[in-house]
Amino acid sequence: MKIKLTVNGLLYERECAEHRTLLRFLREDLGLTGTKEGCGMGECGACTVILNGHAVNSCMVLAAEIDGATIRTIEGEANGPSLSDIQLAFEKNNAVQCGFCTPGMVMSVKELLAENAKPSADEVKEAIEGNFCRCTGYTQIVEAVMDLTGRPEEKGELDHV
Amino acid sequence: MPMLYEFRYLAPKSVAELTATLREHASDGKILAGGTDLIPNIRNGLQKPGFVIDIKKYDGADRISYGADGLSMGPAVTINDLLRFKDARDRYPVLCSCAHELASHQIRNRATVAGNVVNASPCSDMAPALLCLDAQAVLRSGNGERVIPFSSFFTGVKKTVLQPGEFLERILVPAASAGVTGRYLKLKRIAGHDLGIVGVLMTKRDGEIRFGVSSAAPTPVLVDTVTTKDSPDEAAAKVLASVSPISDVRGTKEYREHMIGVYARRLLAEVR
Ligand SMILES: Cc1cc2nc3c(=O)[nH]c(=O)nc-3n(C[C@H](O)[C@H](O)[C@H](O)COP(=O)(O)OP(=O)(O)OC[C@H]3O[C@@H](n4cnc5c(N)ncnc54)[C@H](O)[C@@H]3O)c2cc1C
Ligand code: FES
Ligand code: FES
Repeated sequence: MKIKLTVNGLLYERECAEHRTLLRFLREDLGLTGTKEGCGMGECGACTVILNGHAVNSCMVLAAEIDGATIRTIEGEANGPSLSDIQLAFEKNNAVQCGFCTPGMVMSVKELLAENAKPSADEVKEAIEGNFCRCTGYTQIVEAVMDLTGRPEEKGELDHV
Repeated sequence: MPMLYEFRYLAPKSVAELTATLREHASDGKILAGGTDLIPNIRNGLQKPGFVIDIKKYDGADRISYGADGLSMGPAVTINDLLRFKDARDRYPVLCSCAHELASHQIRNRATVAGNVVNASPCSDMAPALLCLDAQAVLRSGNGERVIPFSSFFTGVKKTVLQPGEFLERILVPAASAGVTGRYLKLKRIAGHDLGIVGVLMTKRDGEIRFGVSSAAPTPVLVDTVTTKDSPDEAAAKVLASVSPISDVRGTKEYREHMIGVYARRLLAEVR
């Protein structure tokens, strides 16, 4: 079937199999490989994109069911060589190590900040609860967001994760 | 990397078209709501539908409303739609605290309340609240509508009263249950998102106590025999008499029984 999607402000139209996931559509049909596949089944959040304003796991969404939707991915963050504010905050606070989880993390944080400009550390932790990072730990990531939003006094780690 | 198994995608645009499609594909079709159970199951080869029937595309499928009959949720209402609905937050705090415990934020943006109960997992986080709040399932097929209380909706592990060709059109939480208070304690392996090892909800309305327990039996369990006169130990004994947990990857039978007792005592002690 024909799928039309607006991704990072550009309209794409492609022929697409009905069983194809949004994740594969983005990576393989549009060549937007910034969005990662970790588990492929909802556990890890590496595939997080923003669908019509809300963060979702693109590995569990079919391209067919969102024909006409508006998507934001990590490729929409930087403007040429200039990183976005969230990316800069991650870089400054050492919230990136291997970087595999980062595209998903940034998308989860982006949805949070669109709804809640000054989240508490707990609200940040909740927003990234579905994003696994196996490198940095979560402290630097939470600090990056607190630094960006001007509330760096609250620190903290996700207990037991 | 396994390729997603191939199927056809159908998106009926009206309830009549949906019931006709469900009848036509009663044996080879599967309803798609948020897809957070169905898509991983297809990927893992646990389900192989020939047709995936999207239930979200008819007018009104995503309607959530509050009125004289109470709270009504269509089959496309997501967990986060519920949490963003002010009448639900104000009037059904118990339903919202259970919803808030379900999976991760991303999943709550897609997962539907209806999909959660139709999936009928013993560890469903919505079932304890729907049971304690006397919620009802409005089921529809080409033959018409029937209304089933959730207390008789679940028939076994991943089994419900839904017949082939039938779908869950609405979940109704009665107005009489507005204002019921309570607390849901969910034990998980990690602080982040995880299916429960056990979940114990206690609700209170006009002095009446109820427990809803998940991950403790083949179906979610409602316990309405506890009273405020019971000691915490008596309450725990009554709750434990109604459950039959098993050992699995998330915990042993003994650990589950122990923690159900701990939670039942703790919750009752809070209201006594
Ligand atoms: C990583 C992960 C973590 C999770 N954590 C939790 C958790 O903590 N707690 C919890 O309870 N669940 C959890 N789940 C399970 C799942 O997210 C929920 O059960 C969710 O509510 C399912 O809703 P859905 O809309 O995505 O269902 P779908 O996957 O779309 O559908 C589920 C099943 O119900 C059928 N169906 C859906 N809607 C209808 C309808 N209206 N009428 C008839 N049949 C229908 C489908 O055919 C399918 O068989 C988790 C899942 C994942 C992947
Ligand atoms: S790849 Fe989608 S959640 Fe892991
Ligand atoms: S930076 Fe490597 S997984 Fe997060």
